[in-house]
Amino acid sequence: MFKYHFMLNALFGSLLSGLSLAIFAPYVTLRRISYMGEALSHIAFAGIAIAILFGLNLTFSTLIFVILISLAIGAISRRHKLQEANTISIFLSVSMALGIILISVSKNYSFDLASYLFGNVLLITGSELYSLIILNILNLTFVLVFYKELFYLTYNAEMAKVFRIRTGLVNQIFLILLAANIVINLKSAGIILVTAQLILPAVIAFNFVHTLHRAIIVSAIVAFLSAFIGFYLSFNLNLPTGATIVLFEALIYFLSLSFRGKNNA
Amino acid sequence: MIGISNLQYKLGGKSILEDINLEIPDGEFVAIIGPNGAGKSTLIKLILGLYDLQEGEIIIDGITQTAWLKANSFGYLPQHEEFDRSFPATALDIALMGLAGRIPLAARLKASHRTEAMAALEQTGVAHHAKDLIGKLSGGEFQRVLLARAIVGGSTYLILDEPEASLDRPSVESFFALLKNLNEAGHTIITISHDLNILSEYCSFLVCLNRRLHCHNHTELVTSEIIHKTFGDSVRIIEKDY
Repeated sequence: MFKYHFMLNALFGSLLSGLSLAIFAPYVTLRRISYMGEALSHIAFAGIAIAILFGLNLTFSTLIFVILISLAIGAISRRHKLQEANTISIFLSVSMALGIILISVSKNYSFDLASYLFGNVLLITGSELYSLIILNILNLTFVLVFYKELFYLTYNAEMAKVFRIRTGLVNQIFLILLAANIVINLKSAGIILVTAQLILPAVIAFNFVHTLHRAIIVSAIVAFLSAFIGFYLSFNLNLPTGATIVLFEALIYFLSLSFRGKNNA
Repeated sequence: MIGISNLQYKLGGKSILEDINLEIPDGEFVAIIGPNGAGKSTLIKLILGLYDLQEGEIIIDGITQTAWLKANSFGYLPQHEEFDRSFPATALDIALMGLAGRIPLAARLKASHRTEAMAALEQTGVAHHAKDLIGKLSGGEFQRVLLARAIVGGSTYLILDEPEASLDRPSVESFFALLKNLNEAGHTIITISHDLNILSEYCSFLVCLNRRLHCHNHTELVTSEIIHKTFGDSVRIIEKDY
């Protein structure tokens, strides 16, 4: 299986990708912002289209685009008293529409929409692996350094403000880092796997453990194992890697539900 | 002391609070009463700094509210605390929240903070639940955990938004008795309340609010006419108490 160098790269890519999203997953599920993961990955589509049209660096320009749009979503919701979920839905549709029009204008027929949905980890390059390693280091450092602030921000942002816990800056970094995780993982993992990896490992973890730090550890282990076994199965059964990982993780989720019942009894 | 002068507050063009001038002396057990929609919660959220002031001024301990809030925090117990029932926090984690703002950004909570938080949980009678997940606590127990969080930071001001709303009758009595103890220990307590019976027993100072201030005075000086004026005809049960 690993006689080809690209296969080893792909395996490392899958593992690092799963790990990076899994560390954020408990926060995303507890804050009930899993829709953000889905929305930001769709919004990234317009960013990718702009990069293709103007011949820009794909990852970097898409990341800037996604961060700008997520800041705009916050500003528009505050100014016009719209629910954030509504504003996000509007931006999601507009970005997808814009992306499709830009792709058709640029006449870049080599762009494959399916690979954007499911990603293709086999195409991962060495420099992308390095970005994933740096991303994982940033994620871990952030979660370890600001554990207390993140904990209370996730619990209740308004009460954190009352007790003068400095969550403002931490929340900004959280959102920017979340956007970075989504954009950097998009090419290899695709929208479906990115969205799944931001939810499933955490909900599985909370069926087994009841503290945040343990949930982060279990979430990372689940994502790591799913990526490894999903990768192995997809190679041997000749199936798409991203989709196989999602289905395997879903299987663990359904099995973990029986543990949840026992834990709550 | 908290002094409020010429406070006005509007929301979507509608006036919520008009012309509020109020002084809350230190050491009092203050109850803010008034009908639904009277602006009670808005008033305390303005004092807490959760809403931005539009017009008027709030002075706390002789300095502006903005300056005071930079170095101090209120002990606050909201009417309804939004949280996920499955959130992985213990009662001790929630009590520690009252101290977390005093600790520098990115610094860790220490054993001494845990001791302080345990003492607060002890004071509110729920220390034996310290390691329990908050989702497993009853309404009354959780309320006492929130009270521990409110007092652990050492704020002299305790602000409560209708604490009796989520409690059954016996719990209300014991909860207010606990507040009375804290008041006697030096805390200034400001609570919104609908329970007029309990107020006469525990509160020393009444603020009658219905968009405007109808009175603010020591409880024994507040007449039933004033209460009627605040509530309109909807309240008839209070004569024997006042």
